[in-house]
Amino acid sequence: MNLKKYFVRALHRLQKGPGYTYKELLVWYCDNTNTHGPKRIIKEGPKKKLIWFFLTLLFASLVFWQWGILINTYLSYNVTSSLSIGFKTMKFPAVTVCNANPFKYSEVKHLLKELDRLIEAALERILQPALGNSSENASPPLDLRLWHQIPLVLIDEHDKDNPVILDIFESNQACSHQGSDNCTYRNFTSAAQAVTEWYILQSTSILSKVPLQERIRMGYQAEDMILACLYGAEPCNYKNFTQIYHPDHGNCYIFNWGMDEEALNSSNPGAEFGLKLILDISQQDYIPYLSSAAGARLMLHQQKSFPFLKDQGIYAMAGTETSIGVLVDELERMGYPYSDCTNNGSDVPVKNLYSQYNTSYSIQACLRSCFQNHMTEICGCGHYMFPLPEGVNYCNNEDNPGWAYCYSSLRSSITHRQICIDSCKETCNDTQYKMTISMADWPSEASEDWIFHILSYERDMSTNVTLDRNGIIKLNIYFQEYNYRTISESAATTIVWLLSSLGGQFGFWMGGSVLCLIEFGEIIIDSLWITVINVISWCKGLKQKRAWWRLTPTWASSTRTQVPSPGTRRCPPSPAPPRPTTTRCVCSPWTSSVPTAMQKLSKQHAPAPPHGKLPSPCSVCHLLSNLLLFIEIRKELKSPGCAPLPDGSL
Amino acid sequence: MAPGKKITARIKRTLPVKGPQAPTLSELMRWYCLNTNTHGCRRIVVSRGRLRRFIWILLTLSAVGLILWQCAELLMNYYSASVSVTVQFQKLPFPAVTICNINPYKYSSMKDYLSELDKETKKALETFYGFSEGKSKVRRSVDEWNSTGSDFFKQIPLLKFEDFSKTATDLRSGQKRKIEGSVFHKDSSIVNSGDSNDIIGFQLCDANNSSECALYTFSSGVNAIQEWYKLHYMNIMAQIPLETKEKLSYSADDLLLTCFFDGLSCDKRHFTRFHHPLHGNCYTFNSGENGTILSTSTGGSEYGLQVVLYIDEADYNPFLVTSTGAKIIVHDQNEYPFIEDIGTEIETAAATSIGMHFTRSRKLSKPYSDCTETGADIPVENLYNKSYSLQICLHSCFQKAMVDSCGCAQYAQPLPAGAEYCNYKKNPNWMYCYYRLHEKFVKEQLGCQQICKDACSFKEWALTTSIAQWPSTVLPSVSPLRTDLANLMVFYKDLNERFISENPANTLVILLSNFGGQLGLWMSCSVVCVIEIVEVFFIDSLSIVMRRQWQKAKKWWNDRKRERPGKPPQADNLERQCHDNPVCIDEDLPTFNTALRLPLPQDNPLPRTPPPNYSTLRLETAFTEQLPDTLEVGQH
Repeated sequence: MNLKKYFVRALHRLQKGPGYTYKELLVWYCDNTNTHGPKRIIKEGPKKKLIWFFLTLLFASLVFWQWGILINTYLSYNVTSSLSIGFKTMKFPAVTVCNANPFKYSEVKHLLKELDRLIEAALERILQPALGNSSENASPPLDLRLWHQIPLVLIDEHDKDNPVILDIFESNQACSHQGSDNCTYRNFTSAAQAVTEWYILQSTSILSKVPLQERIRMGYQAEDMILACLYGAEPCNYKNFTQIYHPDHGNCYIFNWGMDEEALNSSNPGAEFGLKLILDISQQDYIPYLSSAAGARLMLHQQKSFPFLKDQGIYAMAGTETSIGVLVDELERMGYPYSDCTNNGSDVPVKNLYSQYNTSYSIQACLRSCFQNHMTEICGCGHYMFPLPEGVNYCNNEDNPGWAYCYSSLRSSITHRQICIDSCKETCNDTQYKMTISMADWPSEASEDWIFHILSYERDMSTNVTLDRNGIIKLNIYFQEYNYRTISESAATTIVWLLSSLGGQFGFWMGGSVLCLIEFGEIIIDSLWITVINVISWCKGLKQKRAWWRLTPTWASSTRTQVPSPGTRRCPPSPAPPRPTTTRCVCSPWTSSVPTAMQKLSKQHAPAPPHGKLPSPCSVCHLLSNLLLFIEIRKELKSPGCAPLPDGSL
Repeated sequence: MAPGKKITARIKRTLPVKGPQAPTLSELMRWYCLNTNTHGCRRIVVSRGRLRRFIWILLTLSAVGLILWQCAELLMNYYSASVSVTVQFQKLPFPAVTICNINPYKYSSMKDYLSELDKETKKALETFYGFSEGKSKVRRSVDEWNSTGSDFFKQIPLLKFEDFSKTATDLRSGQKRKIEGSVFHKDSSIVNSGDSNDIIGFQLCDANNSSECALYTFSSGVNAIQEWYKLHYMNIMAQIPLETKEKLSYSADDLLLTCFFDGLSCDKRHFTRFHHPLHGNCYTFNSGENGTILSTSTGGSEYGLQVVLYIDEADYNPFLVTSTGAKIIVHDQNEYPFIEDIGTEIETAAATSIGMHFTRSRKLSKPYSDCTETGADIPVENLYNKSYSLQICLHSCFQKAMVDSCGCAQYAQPLPAGAEYCNYKKNPNWMYCYYRLHEKFVKEQLGCQQICKDACSFKEWALTTSIAQWPSTVLPSVSPLRTDLANLMVFYKDLNERFISENPANTLVILLSNFGGQLGLWMSCSVVCVIEIVEVFFIDSLSIVMRRQWQKAKKWWNDRKRERPGKPPQADNLERQCHDNPVCIDEDLPTFNTALRLPLPQDNPLPRTPPPNYSTLRLETAFTEQLPDTLEVGQH
């Protein structure tokens, strides 16, 4: 009951709106709105009214056109880039140094003995194919087990359609395990290239069986490699470097990685305030077939990021002093929706395998992790170049005989690569180190005696010179006079910009604000309400009409043109007591005849009294009376006391 | 009437007093809402029904909130800059190219000055590392030792530390001795102390206070010996006059063998000599000294500078410089070449081609970024006779600090007015002082890095180097000279100039129009309505509140007075009378009613005579309500 009361009250309140007809509502709106045009339409004379009407329309359409442009501009999410160059105190980059050669040959000789003999024999065959048989007698029999897994072949392509494939050792066991259909050939134009690739493939397969601790031991130790270190005016030594094992370069050492300690800052440009290193790469202990380049591999990268030396490292030559001036090139992107990048990689669907090193996300790490994940799924083992997911082992020839084939087919597959490229995102803040490299001979002829002497003494505690020009490298890494170049994106259009432009346009053309829009909405609600009221009353009128026609079907059919005049039907006064009418309006159907009620209904569409002048109980009364009228008509039809119509058609 | 009162009355007559627009706060609000130009407020009043009114109040308030928030955003983003990059193709001025030999002075001619130091160094090498060049030579030098031993080496000997037990082997006597004083690098952020057993270094003591000692240690003997050698070397060089030093160094003929520029031959007249304290004589090509600056109209190595340098490797100082080659720097004619810091090294027996890419950059100074246009606003005197740069500022700042605290100037930087270079004879304490200061400088405790700012505009030549073997081995005639020659080519890779300039992203006009947009969008408000708000909410409301408080206070005061025995009725009457009596206004604030009910009855003689007693006062009141009282009096 309360609810009903509440609704009735709400009804009243809403009905207190600006009027009962659209025209009235419109006039009221124009008069009271705060947008500047409509008022003039009402107030001015007929000619000016027309002018003002069109002007208002024109300005309104201008406003909407401009708004469309502005909103489109905003939704395109453009960015502006700003570029700044200068010098500021910056974190000194992390410096990773490695030897180009991964292991000391003296340490791994026993593991690679078979392989070395095999490659020597193969080289002999390649160089002198005709004399091959005669020279083989001298050497002990070769262990061809390694050979059969991945043989070296000669491909004779004189006949393009039908290449002849010759195994170098003439054994016909090519593609022994899985049938000849599953063979792929990687071809090289130069034998040197082929032999190196083959050797790398074989040796990594052998070395992957050696446990990591052992491999680290076989590599170069920090105290042997880093002979002297000076950062700014402060001395440092090999203990300031963090060891990391790199599959290609063995032990690598990272200065200023920022893992355990604070990253070092450098606030002065110039070589005097940078990092100075003297390295020993001991070239005489290189594995002969594995690495053909001699020198140190080094790379500058961000703190806490993994160094991808094979892709981004540079070489420093032995016997020289290499000076590297650093310019930090930063790119700061806006995140979604401005550009497609990731802040920390947490929203990338690839599991970052490099997180076991505690390093931050990078697109390189993501691509490699993605490849390794594919590899373990398809081939069942992990490639030695990349870190392992949990519960998977590295590939080797014994356990996974087909891994090399699987790997090379996966690597050449474009679809797999595309999947990885699509799922990995760039980082939003990208830092690169631009280097200006210059070299000078070091040590100079005049000073080499004492320098070699001191360095050998310090390393080996011997008075003999154990170092030479081929094994020694000096590095200077320092900030240039302008040490940063930052390209940062910022949104070209912000929401503030959008709103002030919208407001500027609306205010400029029509003097309106958001509140005007709300006013407009209010008017629409009002007119909707009027429509609802009209529709209801129209429906009722229709029903009533129907009822009326049903009452007098023959009369209606015979005298269609005749208008039923009041007084033709007379009903006796209703037995019910008349409803007390306190209001001025006539709302009791019992006191009037049916035709008058009908007339009243038909007049419902006529303009109602202006808003607010009709007392509220009256309007409800109208509704109620309509309903009651309808019921009354039905009653009348059934009541026997009702006098029949003159023609007696009922 | 007193003249003062007359004047106030006159003022009141001529300047009509007007209070706020309505007597009460609620009426004032209503008046404001009806008359304001902002949209929301009017709606509150115009709307019928409590619900609608409430909704409109809510909407208006939220619109005000939005305006405040958005305008704050606009203000905060006002100082941001945008950057424009323009690339131009044009005839480019060729930069100045300064070329130095890495070795500053010919070792053969320096023998006289450095023989003692070299002997000392060799001795150190022999004692600590068992190194000797030739047995006979060393023995002779050892024999000579006692006769030529100078005071100055005794002070700062090289020391070798056996672990950190504070005992050290002295170079001179070979004896172990106790070392006191703070070990300098022990607690620094980077070194891992106490590991290797062969740390080498030297000790510097304050000459005035020998207990103040600083110990310099190095992890490698190479660094230690070079550092120690350089310290003594600077001591010696500081005593040699500039003319002599220039003679000791390389002449243009020594250094430059051939020269080509833009396809034409050039010679030493195109080079300007410039003496660098650490690199000796350097030669600047295209220094602009005679007023003309060369320019190139074609890019590529053919049209750049091509020089063959003679690097006399045999005449190198073995301890001072350890690498062979030349150093070059590409800079603007107005810039000072900081060769020791950012020079590019050139290898011997090789052809080095350096491609340049020219970038000019211009930043906006304050308040957009913290940079300086000319360096004039920086409290550091520019010691170099060149235009401002960050490097110049840092070096000048250090030199200034050095002169202030040590009393003499450091050798590697120019002399400030009235100072002279440090040498051991005149300033026995300078080394200790210098190292202390340098330590502070690197650790940013001197404040130089904070004072010095970037220059707002600068030119930069980005260099790309590539090296090839030169001369090729098929030329047998040059082979004996091979390792002493270096070929250098400096050229523009392309003749486009990149110009990066900042311009303000916002102007005041944009700021104002954005403000207008925001105010208009949310409330159709303008500056006028801001003024209205200030008027109504601050001035009018405040005065209403003030007046009410004043009246309350007054009433309270009067009530208290009335309770006091003696003259309560008088006070009561006075108050009641004053409410409408204009004469009493002087002690009161102008009220709304009085303001409306003016004018002042000017020629009313009645108030002039002060009421003598209670009854006459009653008689003379002008109000009808008091009629019964007067009647009463009459009945008496």
